[in-house]
Order: sequence, then structure tokens, then C-alpha cells
Amino acid sequence: MNAIYLAGLLVGIAGTLVIDARLRLFFWADARRAAVVLVLGVAGFLLWDTAGVRLGIFFEGNRNLLLGVDIAPEVPVEEVFLLVLLCTMTMNAWGMVCRVLTRRTIRTSRTARAPRPDRMRTG
Amino acid sequence: MLTYLTLALVVLVPVCGLALVALARAGRVPLVAALVTVAVMVAATAVFDSAIVATGIVGYDRGRISGVRIGAAPIEDFAYPVAVALALPALWHLLPARRPRPKA
Repeated sequence: MNAIYLAGLLVGIAGTLVIDARLRLFFWADARRAAVVLVLGVAGFLLWDTAGVRLGIFFEGNRNLLLGVDIAPEVPVEEVFLLVLLCTMTMNAWGMVCRVLTRRTIRTSRTARAPRPDRMRTG
Repeated sequence: MLTYLTLALVVLVPVCGLALVALARAGRVPLVAALVTVAVMVAATAVFDSAIVATGIVGYDRGRISGVRIGAAPIEDFAYPVAVALALPALWHLLPARRPRPKA
């Protein structure tokens, strides 16, 4: 059972990579930019996590579901993978929404430019 | 004694402020998309974080959290999806894009 949390996270990350590759959203849109965003994002959130641990706000719990490897006191290695998943999922979602909104904008502007003699243009 | 809420706000307010400025300059589509992404990631966090908390993988000092929860997750945890959904797209926009390859 110790690997179950990590296994779940890896499945999640694999899922985001498949969607990314299929739709060219993040790494498959611009690998260099994605790498920088991912590294900075994960590093930033790890700092936030460390602050929370140092202040005694949160800590590791049920070790039966964790590998037992810590990257820092009370910060399990699984946390790195959780943050990777958080970041890749976010950038995939943002990429998809940008694409939908861009298509809508193009469609709207095309119909707005089309001549409509039967109707006043409301702009 | 610093509470989780204070920590969350100390990080969230400047990060979101800067990110929103960058996104506003990026354009309407990236900005609106990021706001939609906040909603998506908050919903995802409600599910995933609740599972993580309910299985006891993470523990919280009850004296430091407000006690308000969404599902099993402390509301302060939701600062993470708000921050990630604004900061990462802002960062993407601020980094130089690679030169577009000619379309095949």
C-alpha cells in the first residue's frame, strides 16, 4: 500500500502528458517554456509547503500510503509529484480554454464583419 | 502564532496581484482563460485534496486552521489552485515564445 499514493500521482501525470501531446498544449506547444514554468512552479510551491511545515501548520500523516522517503522534514517525495500534476493539469486546462476562447473570438468577429442588410449592426 | 490563513494570504495576495497585471497585459483571452482555470482547479482541488486529507496523508494543526472546510480540505488549501491558475499562465506569457515554425 505504500506506493499507492505515488502510483496514483504518476497515473495522473501520465494522463496530463497524453492530453498535452494529443492537443499540443504545454510541453508539446513549447517545451523550453514549459520546462521553465514547471520548474519555477514546483519550486515555488515547495517553498510554500516548507513554510507551512516550519510554522507547524501541517505535517505528514498516514505513512501507510507513503513510500517513506522525505525530501525535507515532513515533506514526502510524493509532494513533488503532486505539484508536477497540479502544474501540468493547470497549464493543460489554461491552454484548452485559451484555444476555445480564441476560436469563439474569431467566429464572432467574422460574423460581425459579414454584411447583414436585414439588421442594424449593434457593434 | 502565524495561522494557515495568514500564510495563505501573504503568498496569495502579491502572487495574484502580479499575475493579474501580467495577464491583463497579455490580453483578454489569456486573462479570461486563467480565471476559468481558477474555477477548474478549485473544483479539482475540492476532489483531490479531500481525498488526500480524508486518507490522512497530511495532518493539520487544528489550532492554526480556521476550521472551514470544503469537503475534507481546509479552505486555506484552496490558495494553491488559485495561485497556480494565475501565476503559471502569467509566467508562460512573460517568457519569450519560441520562433514559430513555418506551417507544413
